[in-house]
Amino acid sequence: MKLSGAEIVVEELKTEGVEVAFGIPGGVLLDLYDVLYKEEAIRHILMRHEQCAAHAADGYARVSGKAGVCIATSGPGATNLVTGLTNANMDSSAVVALTGQVPTSVIGTNAFQEASTFTITMPITKHNFLVKRTEDLPKVIHNAFYIANTGRKGVVLVDLPKDILAGVADVDLHPKETFAGYKPNIKPNQVQIKRVVEILARAERPLILAGGGVISADATTELQRLAEFLAAPVVTTLMGKGAIPENHPFCLGMAGMHGQVYANRAINECDALLALGTRFSDRTTGWQLDQFAPDATLIHVDIDTAEINKNMPVDIPIVGDVKLALLEILKLLAKKSAKKSGSEWEKRIKKMHEACDSCVEEIPMEGASVSDILIKELSKILDDDAIVTTEVGQCQMFAAHYYMTRKPRTFISSGGLGTMGFGFPAAIGAKVAAPDKKVVDIAGDGSFLMTCQDLATCVENDIQVVVCIFDNRYLGMVRQWQELFYEKKYAHTGLGITPDFVKLAEAFGCYAERVEKPEELKDALNNAFESGKPAVLDMIVGKEDKVLPMIPPGGGIIGMIGTERCKHI
Amino acid sequence: MQTHIISLLVEDHPGVLTRMSGMFTQRGINITSLTVSPCEKEGLSRMTVAIKGSESELEKVRKQISNLIEVVKVVDLGEHEAIVRDLCLMKVHVKDSEARSEVMQLAESYGAKIVDAALDSVTLELTEEPERIDRFVDLMRHFGVKQLFRTGVTAIGISVDVER
Repeated sequence: MKLSGAEIVVEELKTEGVEVAFGIPGGVLLDLYDVLYKEEAIRHILMRHEQCAAHAADGYARVSGKAGVCIATSGPGATNLVTGLTNANMDSSAVVALTGQVPTSVIGTNAFQEASTFTITMPITKHNFLVKRTEDLPKVIHNAFYIANTGRKGVVLVDLPKDILAGVADVDLHPKETFAGYKPNIKPNQVQIKRVVEILARAERPLILAGGGVISADATTELQRLAEFLAAPVVTTLMGKGAIPENHPFCLGMAGMHGQVYANRAINECDALLALGTRFSDRTTGWQLDQFAPDATLIHVDIDTAEINKNMPVDIPIVGDVKLALLEILKLLAKKSAKKSGSEWEKRIKKMHEACDSCVEEIPMEGASVSDILIKELSKILDDDAIVTTEVGQCQMFAAHYYMTRKPRTFISSGGLGTMGFGFPAAIGAKVAAPDKKVVDIAGDGSFLMTCQDLATCVENDIQVVVCIFDNRYLGMVRQWQELFYEKKYAHTGLGITPDFVKLAEAFGCYAERVEKPEELKDALNNAFESGKPAVLDMIVGKEDKVLPMIPPGGGIIGMIGTERCKHI
Repeated sequence: MQTHIISLLVEDHPGVLTRMSGMFTQRGINITSLTVSPCEKEGLSRMTVAIKGSESELEKVRKQISNLIEVVKVVDLGEHEAIVRDLCLMKVHVKDSEARSEVMQLAESYGAKIVDAALDSVTLELTEEPERIDRFVDLMRHFGVKQLFRTGVTAIGISVDVER
């Protein structure tokens, strides 16, 4: 079939099931956009900054479970994508990025809007392509999606020179051909599974640590079944929030640096730790590794061989898909009898759980910060299906600690890279993926200003997200560290008094309201949703609110500070 | 810090070398020698990489390189017996006929070939294990080494099927 390069790209996108692309056109992409103009199967959402296009594709992917697509032109368009792509790749989110490139005849000559996107993005993608022949396009686009979506998911970038898009080739569409060296290992080893089952059946104090891989593998039902069968508590990483409902009696919440005290205690005290789809980031383990599950047989299930023994030496590694591994484990465990409830471990966990729950409830009475209360209010107001995205810093950790996530793919946060400005464009992607759900970005005033220009995108495309700004006029997390560890020298963390976020949002055509007190939140949020418009709530919080408890730098998981409230333990 | 030799079978595409070396760069590991050439299979190349590093460091980087889409196979030749070769071309200064005959004698005893000769120098070629080349070069420094070129190591495993 004779087609232009641009037509081939669009045909293959449709074959891959792409319904939405987030992008910004440019000179070298005119041919591609000329085809998209006529194409009804693909909705193109014009963003106002390429970083936001990448974050939106990332948010879309995390909510939908399908690869997100972003498009940017050559040179500055492509370099602007870099932060967003790095973010997605760090969090193993399936994103396919299409970038324009100058014609092949002038590549390497410092042509107008030329940047070596191929080399720039090599270390921040799972794989990338620079297409040199129009006839290669079917294979390249097919493989881009195959690689992004399989194994440990990630980012694949396809760099498309102008003449390759404009050129015509006689091609067969929808090839199946792939790479000899790419064999995403998904079937777990049976011998290892048997060993794990023996250990879990024997364990007196079993614990499950669920990471983002559980959600990515759609293994949340299996996780819950296993926890219930073993009567084993579950703790999660930041990326694993939502792997088990946080109001489930076995869920102890998030572990790690800003995690729940009892989640960290449980890690310290368990005798068998089943870690699922996690990479043992230092934000989860703390820095004193001898406090991390010292008495436990450590079992690590991950789809990426390179994660085994990378950050944490483990006793039993299982390389493979978390869902398949859990199904195998459950199958073998079924032959054994379920753990009887009422074990010492269960009693201990229950006691810690209740103590902390009452602690959290008491917060308003015992000098809680406004931020704490606002997140707890949000937990109560938002329904189980609502999607929460977060920016990065204090707002993110308040949300991670206090927001009760009840379903998978409803808590979307920048885990690995910690990208300020992520939450709002990710919320755009989330809302596009799930238009019937409420989408709220838990933002800080510092983060929001980094990507707020895309309020225009929301208004123009009728994408109703609600941005809740935790407005303390500080880069709060850094300020907190300065307060706690740098003698309160607030070097360059104060943000002054501008802008007026209500006026800013109104200028874009959004609904906006200021929330001075936590008790005003419910009405304000209702007004925002009922306005039918994208909305911004400027929530005034305490300037010196701190996210506590926390593991101080260099500390271990049982060395949290700020645990005065946790006196019950 | 031990020297490790890794043999890679890779797709013969532009950028593969950068991807591979980038994995070492990210970890701040220096590549001590590198050879790349076509191999018995069309469309694939073989890379032989020598690096200095700890066992655990090597293990981590080896797994990450295996993850690269265009890498078909990675073998750590440190784990197996291997035949290792390096090729050296060297221009040695000879100040008089006595020096010339001494250089030629030593070359013969090491199995080096004389590939070119001028009035004040001889050019030698030696293919050998790298350590033996080191010794030969040290000897020649006594006469004066004007130029030294080495290809870097290439290696083939014994009793291990690299293609497997």
